Amino acid sequence: MSVPVTVEKIFTRNFDRPGSHTLGVYRETGGYTALPKALGMEPAAITEEVKQSNLRGLGGAAFPTGMKWSFIPKGSTAPKYLVINADEGEPGTFKDRYLLERDPHALIEGMIIAARAIDSHTGFVYIRGEYVRPWEIFSGAVKEAYDAGLLGRNIQGSGFDFDIVVHRGAGAYICGEETGLLSSLEGKKGWPKIKPPFPAIKGAFGQPTIVNNVETIAAVPHIINRGAAWFAGLGTKTQGGTRLYSVSGHVVKPGVVETSVSVTLRSLIYDHCGGIPGGRRLKAVVPGGSSAPILTADEIDVTMDADGLKAAGTMIGSAGVIVMDETVSIPEALMVVARFYAHESCGQCTPCRESTGWIYKISHRIVEGKGRKDDLDTILDVAKRGAGTTICAFYDGAVGPYVSYIEKFREEFEALIPRDA
Amino acid sequence: MPDAKRPEFTAEQLDEVRRLQGLYPDKQGALLPVLRLAQDVFGYVSLQIEEYVAGLFEMSPAHVHEVVTFYTLFFQQPPGRHVVSVCHNLSCHLLGAKSIVDHLTQRLGVEVGETTSDGRVTLLTVECLCACEQAPMMQVDDRYEGLLTPEKVDRILEGLL
Amino acid sequence: MPKLTIDGKEVEVAPGTNLIEAARQAGVEVPHYCYHPGLSIAGQCRLCMVDIEKNPRPQIGCNTQAADGMVVHTQTERVLETRKSIMEFHLVNHPLDCPVCDQAGECWLQIYYMRHGLYDPRMVDEKVHKPKAVPLGPHVILDAERCILCSRCVRFCDEVTGTGELGIFNRGDHSEIGLFPGKTLENKYSGNVIDICPVGALTDREFRFQVRVWYLDTARSVCNGCARGCNIEVHTSRRRVHHNQGRRLARIKPRHNPDVNRWWICDDGRYGFRWIDDDTRLLAPVRRANGKDVQLGWDEAVAVLAEALRRYRAEEIGILASPQMSNEDLFALQRIAGRLGIRAVDHRVPPRVPGDEDHLLIRADKHPNRRGAELIGLDQAETRAILDGARDRRIKLLWIFQHDLLDSGLPTADVTAALAGAEMVVFQGPSANATSAGAHLVLPSAAYVEREGTFTNFQGRVQRFRTVVEPLGEAAADWDILGRLGRALGGEDPAPVATRAEQVFAGLAGQVPAFSGMTYRGLGDVGLMVKA
Repeated sequence: MSVPVTVEKIFTRNFDRPGSHTLGVYRETGGYTALPKALGMEPAAITEEVKQSNLRGLGGAAFPTGMKWSFIPKGSTAPKYLVINADEGEPGTFKDRYLLERDPHALIEGMIIAARAIDSHTGFVYIRGEYVRPWEIFSGAVKEAYDAGLLGRNIQGSGFDFDIVVHRGAGAYICGEETGLLSSLEGKKGWPKIKPPFPAIKGAFGQPTIVNNVETIAAVPHIINRGAAWFAGLGTKTQGGTRLYSVSGHVVKPGVVETSVSVTLRSLIYDHCGGIPGGRRLKAVVPGGSSAPILTADEIDVTMDADGLKAAGTMIGSAGVIVMDETVSIPEALMVVARFYAHESCGQCTPCRESTGWIYKISHRIVEGKGRKDDLDTILDVAKRGAGTTICAFYDGAVGPYVSYIEKFREEFEALIPRDA
Repeated sequence: MPDAKRPEFTAEQLDEVRRLQGLYPDKQGALLPVLRLAQDVFGYVSLQIEEYVAGLFEMSPAHVHEVVTFYTLFFQQPPGRHVVSVCHNLSCHLLGAKSIVDHLTQRLGVEVGETTSDGRVTLLTVECLCACEQAPMMQVDDRYEGLLTPEKVDRILEGLL
Repeated sequence: MPKLTIDGKEVEVAPGTNLIEAARQAGVEVPHYCYHPGLSIAGQCRLCMVDIEKNPRPQIGCNTQAADGMVVHTQTERVLETRKSIMEFHLVNHPLDCPVCDQAGECWLQIYYMRHGLYDPRMVDEKVHKPKAVPLGPHVILDAERCILCSRCVRFCDEVTGTGELGIFNRGDHSEIGLFPGKTLENKYSGNVIDICPVGALTDREFRFQVRVWYLDTARSVCNGCARGCNIEVHTSRRRVHHNQGRRLARIKPRHNPDVNRWWICDDGRYGFRWIDDDTRLLAPVRRANGKDVQLGWDEAVAVLAEALRRYRAEEIGILASPQMSNEDLFALQRIAGRLGIRAVDHRVPPRVPGDEDHLLIRADKHPNRRGAELIGLDQAETRAILDGARDRRIKLLWIFQHDLLDSGLPTADVTAALAGAEMVVFQGPSANATSAGAHLVLPSAAYVEREGTFTNFQGRVQRFRTVVEPLGEAAADWDILGRLGRALGGEDPAPVATRAEQVFAGLAGQVPAFSGMTYRGLGDVGLMVKA
């Protein structure tokens, strides 16, 4: 077992400090010092700083944040909205919950700075409906910020106004998709919107909108405080900073781990999370939330950066790492995952609506011992044919497990299918 | 609890509705929060509530019904006094969610989706609640309860009156 | 104007045109379900995928605007395979109940399966079950299992009528179209959702199971239900006369006219055709004397009327023309009145109750040719003055076209007195009514679908309607009856004998300035505006 590389903690630096969610503790540890700096900067300079920092979206799509901000039409006098995606829902992911509960002011400070960069005066924080405690804590922090003059009109005498509306979801994974989230914020079903137009042009309530993940925006105050070069230097050539990994399943110490964006999956499991319990052997790992294609035990020497995982045929996604030991039935795991995608498909696009349910039925039948010899090829073919044909990435996310579980563990599935089927 | 079949908000609640509507550039943005308010007040979202709320938003009731049937957190029938929602997604599945569900169905004497005959507990299974580090876990009303064992589940049930 | 290439054909289209419409202009069909030119873009069915050069993946044509220099392919291997896959997805949970489905024969699932599907079905599991045979309103019935959730009907009720009755409830493969529980779909345009439903999910309660669509014939027509003059297709059942309960007319469908009705018609127009095949129709000329009806041949009937018109002085004759009559009929009538010097002519009989009107299509005036009657000049007197004249026995011959004066906005006592005061009442029209029941001479007119002609709508648009079915019994077109009458009147008639409505229209175009220069050919399928 190697010793984990020591990485400076940014997101988690206060996690274990009592009262870390309060304004007082946040301030004691340097909180809200980036804000006056940013309020004194030109908006374009903030965006440029974030671009230089190589900050990428940490919600799943890894899109360069500064570039996203720069898509807001220049000189537009329309109201612009900053929307925070706190609809954490990707199976295996829980890091945003920690940020909301343990460092809410980092998100608030980051939002004010981001809003200044994109000339927005209203921000919405969309928190999944099941997150009651995170909502309570975050709402409390917002109130503290208002009371301290950090939100509202003329923030700290800067002449800049910014309000935060905390919005609660009502139970739908698809609302974590940025345009599904916007539909939901508008009081509709969470059906993703067809693109174009993209949200930066026509987003929430028909106005230019930037949607960013909680963790992404929580990084912003640090970038402004310590500079783009410092942040970029923490990461790889294409991604700055550290990131939060949510590790769960068969590990000794499950939880949120902050470390390098290019840590190896092996190090994450064995160094940071104490390895597999009970001396059992590793069987497989899902590296980036349930939508990421699965890796086998002998594929874990990959680095967790975008390039490393892409080379291994999978993706970082939301950095939700689900570890499976040798006792796990992969066909059962596929059935569980297929049930999830069938349950959460919004029903808008035909390929996703029809095949998520279909594939769940097949996977269920296989686990019940009623598989047919064509079933596996049917799943693979249906999944591949539907990939890339829908409005949003939900179905492509479902295809990840459908295809990888079967292709990498085919014998295990075949063993469940009666020979005379 | 006020009658969900003949819903009407109090003046105070109507002020809250207007406050929520005022938070959004288009008042329809407040539909989810107002439905949640209605559910808190009336216990569930009856068809009558959907129509009542549609009126508050000058919306077609059909579009309110779309919203209520789309999201899992709106109850269209009265739930029990407590709602126990066991996560059965991947991480919880790996760590024994099924045995937790089996234990609950046996202890409560209901199937998943049902409410105990005394109206105490509604048992549900749900998709990932994003507390996988505490797997297997469940939500009991507003609380997350993790690292479940049958014994821990029993203790939690004892606290539900 | 962007110029692009679609399947090797260059086409120039208006800015903002999407690739489905651009392809249509290039003569290339891009299959689609959710896209409808009259509704917003939904992008849900995913069938209209096309390949655009320099694009890594096929794109949906409905939400892609044509751009200058774009090179589009609709027949690449990749597009064909994608279509086949999408067709399979559309049919995964479809019940495949074509033998008992009324949409069979005009179902886009059937049509596209044959053109673009032809895969071997692989779905062996239990399909999702949803509500079946659910009446949504007076006209529409839903089978949610057949629905492909294209959302056209939902968008129609949201965007066209603004009534918002329909929604898509639940999610995933349990999504289903429906009404708010307990509500009904009874807006004035509800039947349009049947037309735009590409499959058998929404069918017509009146039409379904009456006749298979492949036994139907079609003719282009214009609705006679109000002054809008919506363009329609009339579908008839003549090949299997025992179907459709023996009725000739099976249904009416809207016909696209961008300047009149776009893609839509109202339910009153759609379902207002039953009178054409019902037993109120007048089938033969009848003379009524001493309480006895005597059936006449046309020569005899025309001679009776000609004799009466000669017998009375011009000021003793009153004519109530109808704005239900075509331009040709009205012109022929105007010529006779002019020749005889009859000045007591009007077409303005007030309705018993004022007609409803809205901002979409429906006009308060429930007649298709008021404007034509005005332009041709059949309003030299007032209806009330004519009736007063009859009551006072100054007008002795009252010649009434179509109107039931006893079921109108006129006081019944006044009408009764007028009908009693006239020495001779002539009724000419397609259907019997209380007014015809008291007439001394009844002449059966062909219904508008039984002959051709033109109506001038409230905008001044002159539109052709075609012969759909032959007249019932001895009924004849009014212009034809009036032509025979003109000849029976003798004397000098400069107009040549007309054997077709087109010839009468040519006379109209030559004499009434508003119509000058118009021809049937020139009117085409969408009509022409009268000269200001």
